[in-house]
Amino acid sequence: MSSSTVTVATPRTAHGRRRTRKSPAAIAIRIILAIVYVIPLLWIVLTSFKDKDDVIGSSTAIFFQPTLDAYRAAFTPELLAALGQSLVIATTSTAIVLAVAIPAAYGLARVRGVLPTIGLSLLIVLQMVPQTATVIPFFQVFGGLRLLDTNLAVILADAALMTPFAIILLRPFFRAVPPALEEAASVDGARSFRIFWSIVLPVVRNGVATTATLVFLIVWGEFLYAVNFFLTPGNYPLSALLAQQVSSYGINWPGLMALGVITSLPILVLFSFTYRLLKEGLTVGAVK
Amino acid sequence: MFLAALAVFPLVQLLRLSLSDVQVQNLHRDWPFIGLENFINGFTSGVLTDGLLNTLVFVVIVTIIGLIGGIAAAVALRGTGQVTGALLGLMVFIWALPPVVNGSVWKFLLADDGLFNSMLSLFGLSSFPFLYDERYALISVAVVNAWAVIPFNALVFRAAVLNVPDEQFEAAQLDGATPRQEFWYVILPALRPTTLVLGVLTIVYAFRSFDFVYVMTKGGPGASTQTLPYLSYQQAFVGYDFSAGAASAVVAVVVVLALAAVYARSVLKEESE
Repeated sequence: MSSSTVTVATPRTAHGRRRTRKSPAAIAIRIILAIVYVIPLLWIVLTSFKDKDDVIGSSTAIFFQPTLDAYRAAFTPELLAALGQSLVIATTSTAIVLAVAIPAAYGLARVRGVLPTIGLSLLIVLQMVPQTATVIPFFQVFGGLRLLDTNLAVILADAALMTPFAIILLRPFFRAVPPALEEAASVDGARSFRIFWSIVLPVVRNGVATTATLVFLIVWGEFLYAVNFFLTPGNYPLSALLAQQVSSYGINWPGLMALGVITSLPILVLFSFTYRLLKEGLTVGAVK
Repeated sequence: MFLAALAVFPLVQLLRLSLSDVQVQNLHRDWPFIGLENFINGFTSGVLTDGLLNTLVFVVIVTIIGLIGGIAAAVALRGTGQVTGALLGLMVFIWALPPVVNGSVWKFLLADDGLFNSMLSLFGLSSFPFLYDERYALISVAVVNAWAVIPFNALVFRAAVLNVPDEQFEAAQLDGATPRQEFWYVILPALRPTTLVLGVLTIVYAFRSFDFVYVMTKGGPGASTQTLPYLSYQQAFVGYDFSAGAASAVVAVVVVLALAAVYARSVLKEESE
């Protein structure tokens, strides 16, 4: 077969966009992915509208009388308090992490030498340390400081957990800012803080938004610190409440799924605003 | 400085704890130094050895499924169509959900009266103890963990696939390559550097995984799903033996240190090019 005939036989797409060929394998993978990822999500929502008696048995798997009972039962003052706790803890932790990580990432991106390299390696190690390795010493330290059962303990622990991760995620964004941009500004007589604030920071705003989103998401779902540092369950955030209920005996599935949906809704809102950013930002920061 | 204090200090304390005899009574008093006794006890009683073995099995399953699933999803979802985009978005959303939510759903799906077993009973099969049998629980939790990490891996692999120059695909198509050949000879070689980095990240992710074990099995049945992170939590906060928990955590940290060194080297090498 001569190559010229093949060229003619190969249709090109007009916009220079890559022509992806639909192989049976690719279609099969898509169907499997759809099943494996849609069903759990569908199931959590469906179950949350079920009556306790409809949960068991295949006859009522899809067709059932929807009820808001689970949500009605879930909406207690306890739940609202937990929602408030989640918001306070996640927002404050994210703010602290950004306040520390932005200058640190900028510094590590600009300065070269042995010390920054050591610092960077240390951060990579810290980012990977299992959370259970820090929960024990934190528990002892906060106990000694009489901070147990306060929001401050959980916020500090979350901030310490997320800061190395945030610095590593942010650093490539700062590295991508051309130093010439800053030099031009300093020639114009701008002071270094001003340069950072009004020249560099706007350029990396996507990176900051990506990092803030991820930190918020992870702190929102964090429950190990919360379960152990809060001595009274009345102080639990949503994630801890959910973790406590799922591990109790005789689980009320519709109630649990309703709580799961309520915990996930703020994530859905945040996610719908930041998905585009995440799609880009994750691939820049996470692997570099 | 703030960072160093808050991040390094706990590790120093952890090491001190692991070399002392600390129970709930003397957590805030003197810590009698006992050397390596906690570690020796852990290994001679088999608790730590089992924990390490469980962790190893867990990490291998999560990493293999996580990487293969990630590549498969990336290749299948590299198009720009609406359905593909929606599916990718949904997957990343699920990845973004709290692990405690995802873990709860899977605990429900895999329960005796859950969806999977209801389906099995439709076909006249008896229910399968996904989470209630010592032989299968660890595998089940690991597979769910892999499921949770695939969307992230797919997103990163997908970016790498999209980075392959168009000419390479055109050349392959001119040569009459089938989609399968295109995958093996064009896409896969291009994914090698990404696979190395994501491989380490996935191993570390699996290694430190705690949430899914806590939510789905609490380490049971027996001790069959006690991975190192869960074991150290269990010893410290359920058994109130803080120093034994610290010793297990130290073993975990040492393994992570080795992995992190590999990762840090590859990152630094890439930057000094």
